[in-house]
Amino acid sequence: MKLLLGALLGLALLPAQVRAQGEGRRLHFTVAGIAGQQIVQSHVDNVTDRLTGPLLGAEGMLISDRLMVRVRYGEGRIKPEAGSTTEARDIVSGEALFGVRATPWLSLWVGPSARAYTIGESDQRWLVWSGRASARGALVPGRMQTYVELWGVFSGSVGNPAIKAGGRGARGGLEMRFGAQSSFWGRLGYGIESLHADGLRETAEALTLSIVFGLPQ
Amino acid sequence: MNRFLVAGLVASALLVPLTARAQSASALLDQGVRAYQVREYDGGAWLLRRALAAEGADALSNAGTARALLYLTATEVARNQRDSALVVARRLILLDPRYRPDDTFPQAVIAVYQEARRTAPSVSIRAPGDTAIRPGAETFNVRLGSSTAPDVTANVMNADGRVVRTIFSGTIRDSVDVRWNGLDGSGNVPAAGRYMIVVTPRDRRGGAAGSANWTLRLPIEIARPAVDTTPLPPAPPDSLFRPERGNTQGAVRALIPAVIAGVAIVALPKVVAEGEEASQARLVVGGAVTIAGIVAFFSHHPGQRLPENEQYNRNLRETWQRNSQEIARRNADRQRQSRMIIRPGAPSLVTSETP
Repeated sequence: MKLLLGALLGLALLPAQVRAQGEGRRLHFTVAGIAGQQIVQSHVDNVTDRLTGPLLGAEGMLISDRLMVRVRYGEGRIKPEAGSTTEARDIVSGEALFGVRATPWLSLWVGPSARAYTIGESDQRWLVWSGRASARGALVPGRMQTYVELWGVFSGSVGNPAIKAGGRGARGGLEMRFGAQSSFWGRLGYGIESLHADGLRETAEALTLSIVFGLPQ
Repeated sequence: MNRFLVAGLVASALLVPLTARAQSASALLDQGVRAYQVREYDGGAWLLRRALAAEGADALSNAGTARALLYLTATEVARNQRDSALVVARRLILLDPRYRPDDTFPQAVIAVYQEARRTAPSVSIRAPGDTAIRPGAETFNVRLGSSTAPDVTANVMNADGRVVRTIFSGTIRDSVDVRWNGLDGSGNVPAAGRYMIVVTPRDRRGGAAGSANWTLRLPIEIARPAVDTTPLPPAPPDSLFRPERGNTQGAVRALIPAVIAGVAIVALPKVVAEGEEASQARLVVGGAVTIAGIVAFFSHHPGQRLPENEQYNRNLRETWQRNSQEIARRNADRQRQSRMIIRPGAPSLVTSETP
């Protein structure tokens, strides 16, 4: 983890002459609708549960020449596999990240993200601050691109009373424009995050399909 | 005795201080007239020619010029220089076609003048002084005059003799005001420089006249104050254009990120959540990315058209062209709205008899 954070810090301190060569110099935005399936493995002490369920969400980005803001929200209900006695959970998750485009293909992000669910009468909320590095590559310029994002938690808490939490995550996928001049893109994504605290560990995977309006960063 | 008088007049003319030049033109005229009256024709001709040669602010008025020309005509007749007298008389008619010598002159002078009237084109052109106009919105006016109602064409011509714009074509009945709005035949503002308003006769069918052979010229100088214009944007450099045909380098560039991303996505659970049993979802996405990369690799194979890149390059060129055209249009507007200064010179008449 320290190695990952050190790498992120080093990238953030890249010299100023590393400038984005973006096509547009003006502010633009993207919005996206997200649908998918999530798989959660929950470990409490030595008990492990596996829950799955649909995920719906939305994402918005504001992109300038070098700076970016991204907010994302999702919710869904996950249920245990057949035969398990674990209760289903209503899950919400969200993030608000601030990013800088270090190079045309690499962006660095920082910001909070949260994941909360209800089990019976009790709420469980994970709140973490993470640093992220996101890389993009064009397969067909202007039509098809791929991305990978890695992140690590540098501060986090879970539960009430709060206990210290940590973790890391990653996501990646493929974005395709629907037409040569279309403003709409489709995105196939996979994400995984693993958060842990004293006696707790939650690993959530998600396979998502998104419709994006606007040119993704 | 008269000779001594004229010699004295000539000597005094030579000694007139330079600072009194404006006065000396009319003084020269008076002295020339007096010399004619005392029949000292050689000295008189010299004095009158000097008076007529004065330029700018020192020049004689129109009335003074006409008087000088008339007396010079009379002087040349008296000197038996009939051809020269005819030329001078024509100058007088050009200056003012309606001018008439009074009966105090000898019959021979009246006869020469009448002959000049018969043979001279008897057209005149009068222009205001320096004039500033806004091309396209205001006009520079000249007055053409004639007592013989000739059919003429008036063109603005450049220094190379090419017609910039025809500003009049028709009959001069007594006089006609001709207006030029400062634009050429295409509606553009001509460049600064020397031009000429050229009036030539034409026959009744509209062609050049065969018999009457004369050209009336009014030189004009066009000056344009400097206008603050925006430089046109340079063409986009080659580095901004994408290849429109596939090549090996492009193919590899498409494949490598896809393979890296595909492998990374498949391996993510190992990095992020070691020990967890990862789902097959990562294989779906990682596989899709890798396949997309392979497809992109083959779409870039050498010689293959890349429509997206063609479209991108077309957009780049069109954007640049649009910007250039818009800036050029704005510059043209600024040029059009700036004032043009027209400075007319002295008109001249060229005939087949002009030496």
